[in-house]
Amino acid sequence: MKHLLSRLVAGFALISSAAMANADAMLMSRIPMRAELVLEYVKSSIEEHGYSIAHLQLCDGGMSDFGYKTDFYRVVFFGKIDEVRRISERYPELVSYVPLKLAVIAEKDETLLTVLNPEALAPYFADAELQIQLVRWHSDLESILDDVRRATEKRITGTD
Amino acid sequence: MVTKLLLRMCCALAALVATDLVTAAPDGRELYMTHCSACHHLGGEGGIGLPLPAAKLADVTDDYLRKTLRNGRPGRVMPAFQRMSDAQVDAIVRFLRQDTHTTDPGFSDAPVVGDVDRGKAIYGEHCIKCHGEDGTGEGKGTGVTLSRERSFLVMPASISNRGFLASASDEMIRKVVVHGRKYSGMPAFGHGKLSDTEIDDVVAFVRAFEQQQAEPEPLDAEERPTHIYESPHDFETTVANVKAALTGANFRIFPDRLLEQGLIDEFSVNSRQVGIRFCNFNVLYGMLKIEPRLGIVLPCRITVIEHEDGTVTLAVPNLRVISRWFNNDELVELWDRMEQTFKDIIDEVTL
Repeated sequence: MKHLLSRLVAGFALISSAAMANADAMLMSRIPMRAELVLEYVKSSIEEHGYSIAHLQLCDGGMSDFGYKTDFYRVVFFGKIDEVRRISERYPELVSYVPLKLAVIAEKDETLLTVLNPEALAPYFADAELQIQLVRWHSDLESILDDVRRATEKRITGTD
Repeated sequence: MVTKLLLRMCCALAALVATDLVTAAPDGRELYMTHCSACHHLGGEGGIGLPLPAAKLADVTDDYLRKTLRNGRPGRVMPAFQRMSDAQVDAIVRFLRQDTHTTDPGFSDAPVVGDVDRGKAIYGEHCIKCHGEDGTGEGKGTGVTLSRERSFLVMPASISNRGFLASASDEMIRKVVVHGRKYSGMPAFGHGKLSDTEIDDVVAFVRAFEQQQAEPEPLDAEERPTHIYESPHDFETTVANVKAALTGANFRIFPDRLLEQGLIDEFSVNSRQVGIRFCNFNVLYGMLKIEPRLGIVLPCRITVIEHEDGTVTLAVPNLRVISRWFNNDELVELWDRMEQTFKDIIDEVTL
C-alpha cells in the first residue's frame, strides 16, 4: 500500500509539475458590467465555494485619501480557516499568500477580475499534499471566475 | 489517512484532466473571452493589452498571430500561451479573423536583404524618436492605456522584443514601414519618402536587433517565494520593531490584521500571527501605472508569527519572484530595488 502511495505521489508530482511549469501566473476575466455590481457576484460566488470573506480592501479609497485620481479598485481577501491554519503550521513560506486575494478593477463600465494563480507557486514546493492544495485552489478560482462570468451574462441578457 | 490522501490526489488529478479537457475545446470566441479579453477587451478595443482593430489585423499574417500567442512579448505583459494546443491557437486566430472580417495578407517568409549600417543611420533619423535607440519603444506602462489613466496614446511598439522578432516576417515589417499604421500613429515611409533600398536597410537593421537579444537573467535556483527570518526578539518587540522600521522607510502602516481574522469568530482567532500591512501611496500610484493588476499582491505585508515554543519568525514576500509573474520588465526593475528596501527593514528589525 505504501509502495502504491509513493508511486502515486511521484506520478502526481510528475504530471502536475509538467502541467504547472507553464501555468499562467494570473487568472483573469473581463466582465461587461460595472465593478460595484460585479463585486457582489464575486463575493457571493466565493462564499458558495465554501470560503469566508475575511476582508475587503478599498485600494481606491486609500489612494483618493491621498489625492490620487483613481477608479473603483477593491481587493477581496478570502479563505478557509482550516486551510489557513494548515498553511501557517506546515508551510510558513506560504503565509504571505493567504488568505487568497481577488482584485476587482473598474475599467470604465467594465470590470477586470484578477487573481494570482496558486499554481505559480507549485514549482517551489515538492510536497505532494501542498501540490494538491494549490491545484484545488486553482480549480476553485477558475470556477469562481466562471460563475461570475455566467451569472453576470445572465443578468445582462435578462435570462436570470 | 492514506485513503484520504489517495482520494484527494484522485480529485486533484481529475481536476487537472478536466481543466485540460475544457481548455481543449477549440471554440475561438470562448478561448478569446477566457484568455485574451481581460487585456485586449471584449471587442479588441485594448486596455492593459494593445487594441486589435481590423486595420491592424489586416496587415498581419495568421502565422504572426499564432507565433505571437505562442511567444508572447517577453517582459511586456503579453504572456506566452505555451500550454494551448495548436487547435486552440488556430481557433483564436480564426475567431479574430471572423470578428474583424480580415484575411491573412499572405506575406512572404523570405528575408529582406539590406545593409544594416545604412539602416541604422536611417533608423536614427526617422524611427529612433518613437522606438528608441534600442527599439524597445518609449513610455511607461503596459503598452497602451491604463485602467487608472485612460488618456495615454498608444505606445510605440517594442520592435526589438524577441517575441515580436520571432513572430514578424521581414516582409511584414517592410509593409508596416511602407504603409504605416494610421490607428497607432506610425507614419508611412513609402510613396517616395524613403526609397525601396532604404526601407530594406531599415528592415535589416530591425532584424539585427535579434542578435542583441539575450534571454533575461533567470532567478537564482535558491530564490524562494517568501523570505523567512528568525527574530531575536519576542512577539511584541518584533511587531513594534517592524512598524518602527517601516515608518522610518516612509511607509504608511495600516491597522494590524491577524492572519485568521475574518475567517473565524474573534474569540477563536490566533492573536499571535499578525500581518503588518503597509503602503507608500506615491510609489503605489506609480506602480499601478506600470502594472494595473498589482492589487492581487497588495498591500505589502510582513507577517509575524509566534510559534508554540515562543520563537518568532517573519515572513516577507520575495518581490523578485513575484514581479516576474507579471511579465513586465519595468516592474521587475522597480521591485528588484524595492526588495533591497525590504531587506534593509528586516536587517533593522532583526538586529
